[in-house]
Amino acid sequence: MLRLIVTRVVLGLLTLLGVSLLIFAATEVLPGDVATAVLGQGATPETVAEFRKEVGLDRPPLERYWDWLSHAVRGDFGKALTNKRDINKTMAPKLSNTLFLALYAALIAVPLAVGLGILAAIKEGKWLDKAANILSLGAISMPEFFLGQLFIFILAVKLRWFPSLATVFNSMHLDEKLYVVFMPAVCLTLLVTAHMLRMTRSSVLAIMSQPYIEMAFLKGLSRARVIFVHALPNAAAPIITVVALNLAYLIVGVVVIENVFVYPGVGQYMVDGVSKRDLPVVQACGLVFAAAFVILNTVADVLSILVNPRLRKPR
Amino acid sequence: MNRWDELQLAAFEGKIGRRDFMRRAAALGISTTLASGLLASAGYADDTPKKGGTLKLGMEGGSPSDSLDPRTYADSVMIAASLAACNCLVEFSSDGKPTGELFESWDVKPGAKEWVFNVRKDVTFSNGKTLDADDCIYSIQIHRGETKSPAKGILEQISEIKALNKNQVAITLADGNADFPVILGDYHIVVVPKDFTDWDHLVGTGAYELDGDPEYGVRLAYKRREGGYWKPNRGNFDAIEIRNIQDVAARTAALQSGEIDGCNRLDARTVKKLMGDSNLNVVRTKGTGNRFCFVTRVTDDPYTNKDLRTALKYAIDREKIIEQVYSGFAIPGNDHNLDPLNPFYNTAMPQRKYDPDKAAFYFKKAGVSAPIELQTSEGAWGSAVDCAQLYQESAKKAGIPLQVKKVSGDGYWDNVWLKVPFCAVYWGRRMSADQAFTQVFGEKSDWNDTNWKVPEFQKLLVQARAETDEAKRKEMYWKCQEMIADDDGFICFAITDYLDGYSKKVAGVHPHGRYDMDDNRVAEKAWFA
Repeated sequence: MLRLIVTRVVLGLLTLLGVSLLIFAATEVLPGDVATAVLGQGATPETVAEFRKEVGLDRPPLERYWDWLSHAVRGDFGKALTNKRDINKTMAPKLSNTLFLALYAALIAVPLAVGLGILAAIKEGKWLDKAANILSLGAISMPEFFLGQLFIFILAVKLRWFPSLATVFNSMHLDEKLYVVFMPAVCLTLLVTAHMLRMTRSSVLAIMSQPYIEMAFLKGLSRARVIFVHALPNAAAPIITVVALNLAYLIVGVVVIENVFVYPGVGQYMVDGVSKRDLPVVQACGLVFAAAFVILNTVADVLSILVNPRLRKPR
Repeated sequence: MNRWDELQLAAFEGKIGRRDFMRRAAALGISTTLASGLLASAGYADDTPKKGGTLKLGMEGGSPSDSLDPRTYADSVMIAASLAACNCLVEFSSDGKPTGELFESWDVKPGAKEWVFNVRKDVTFSNGKTLDADDCIYSIQIHRGETKSPAKGILEQISEIKALNKNQVAITLADGNADFPVILGDYHIVVVPKDFTDWDHLVGTGAYELDGDPEYGVRLAYKRREGGYWKPNRGNFDAIEIRNIQDVAARTAALQSGEIDGCNRLDARTVKKLMGDSNLNVVRTKGTGNRFCFVTRVTDDPYTNKDLRTALKYAIDREKIIEQVYSGFAIPGNDHNLDPLNPFYNTAMPQRKYDPDKAAFYFKKAGVSAPIELQTSEGAWGSAVDCAQLYQESAKKAGIPLQVKKVSGDGYWDNVWLKVPFCAVYWGRRMSADQAFTQVFGEKSDWNDTNWKVPEFQKLLVQARAETDEAKRKEMYWKCQEMIADDDGFICFAITDYLDGYSKKVAGVHPHGRYDMDDNRVAEKAWFA
């Protein structure tokens, strides 16, 4: 058991290392570099050379990569090339904003999706099942920027129930934050619900065709009891995996929503970093995103193993 | 556009007087209340400022990597943010002329080399210090020497700078420049106390002071500074909030829902709809925005041929591009880079128009058979590809086989501009004719993208720079514009409007000859009606 968990964690770390290499390579092959991007029209050959030297871009890529990696493992992402500010300090409030929005959306989405998924399985083929499916698929089929604009137009501009700007800042209280971030949270909920709902429903239904479920029915148990006591524990593993995947999406996939609602999260920071060719910022954001994915997936794996005895002993 | 819209536009642009407007509105059957309300918002009536309230601005032109260090300013949010807390040495009046700010007045000796500036007296910084000549000198010096400041280049002409006494600064230039006060009005040169370096807690002589730490790319908050502001009738709000909103749809929605009181850079495609909203006021500054151009390098074949260049200038349908791409919110360019709000704009020169016959004539005369390829990209500006396609269409009617090649936006300015012989470029406004010409057409400029270095023009440019007689200068600059439009490969087809949006309750906002949002000084100029 312990060995399994350790293997997972080591694999996760290796994935992160691979990702960091990929991000570094990707930023290297981008046309243009930070010197010309920062200096803009003010870039003459002399100022560019001066700038490149100042931020160490004149050294070979491998050396820079090693230098960066050795600091990053100690949790030090260095300084941004554009304004020399400490990346950790700049990113911390943005990361907490991103996590706040993700948590907010998850608290609405996960109970809703799993609950509706189970209900849909219980009422398979009934109107509730169909309605849940149609609505969630409809929501996921709409591009998120469109969904966001639709929300803004109706709820903010026309009805004025919620602010169109979800910008949170330091001096805001929690209740204010919950209010201004409501629309993006609901938008994200609509985006991730369908996936989780359908996975819950189909995993529960897949278990329903097993002989031991038939046995439970033959014992005369109600459909609800069969599902909650006999089917659900066995269907938990795929549900946990899909929930974890969607939680990761809530953290890393919200750039568009952040933009539509003007939410100051890590996504915006990364986009700004890319457009300015600010290598350390892009790497730091990329690594944080990758870490979120890897950690959530590792947790999901471990949990799946814990809830399902059969997975504890790999064949 | 119907007649009511036209009338409103005319009022906003200040083209017709109050009485005329009311009379014509009545003729169209518009109620008096509606018409006078509109006039008030166009800035006609009620010009006694009231105090109080929090002004919330939503602006494009900022990012998380911003800083309040004046050597890093590059876009609207930081310009507006610095002008809320600080003053410049020189301000610009709404018609674009330099007027005194912290340099109250100045004297110049003939030849425009030796200048003496008088520092305004009895002005204090928000930390209590009284302004003197040393503060002004320090605020200039941080942009000179070892620095990456964008203002470094324009200040290189200074050969000596010294304080004569507490309230006088003498500046000697290497060569005469009659426009030197305009240079000192550059937005990077804001005044801070001597030896000041704590940029996140910027201290200035402005109407407001920072309230809490700035959250770059998100929000900057200000409160009215204690002890009052030195400019009468300005700095009317209790507090200011500048939010960075990059997305134009988000800005517009926030304005419509009343979360912000003003925003910059409205979308030309939707602005007409906003003009019809009774809660909003759109301020349009005509033709002072970006100059959109297609430029040919006159030293590269086949563009060495002047007839070909002339053919290309007649082959572009400026009106159509303005109508289709900019929804009418631009003016046609006249193949040089000054706009009508520049005091030296040549008003006698006829506007060049789309003329397929002339274009065909000159193209035939040029006898060029080499392919004519225009490189364009979203990276040049958002609609550069659309403009190029319309250009291709109109050139085709003149029998010119213009090819349009769409290239990647990434690295456009490094790999395409200044490198390929025919490409898209845009230029911002420069406050003086000299700056505009020297930067774009000067022989020493790194950005002379047409590589047009006619000696006669260069000589005229240097002469005009040191000429202190306004009438003579005007004559020279008129000639410069004619030479550029006639001979250079510079096809400037449109100059866009600035479009600001305000809630109806914001009063005292006007178009300005330099920047949108009333020269990015709306925080100190406006008030709540």
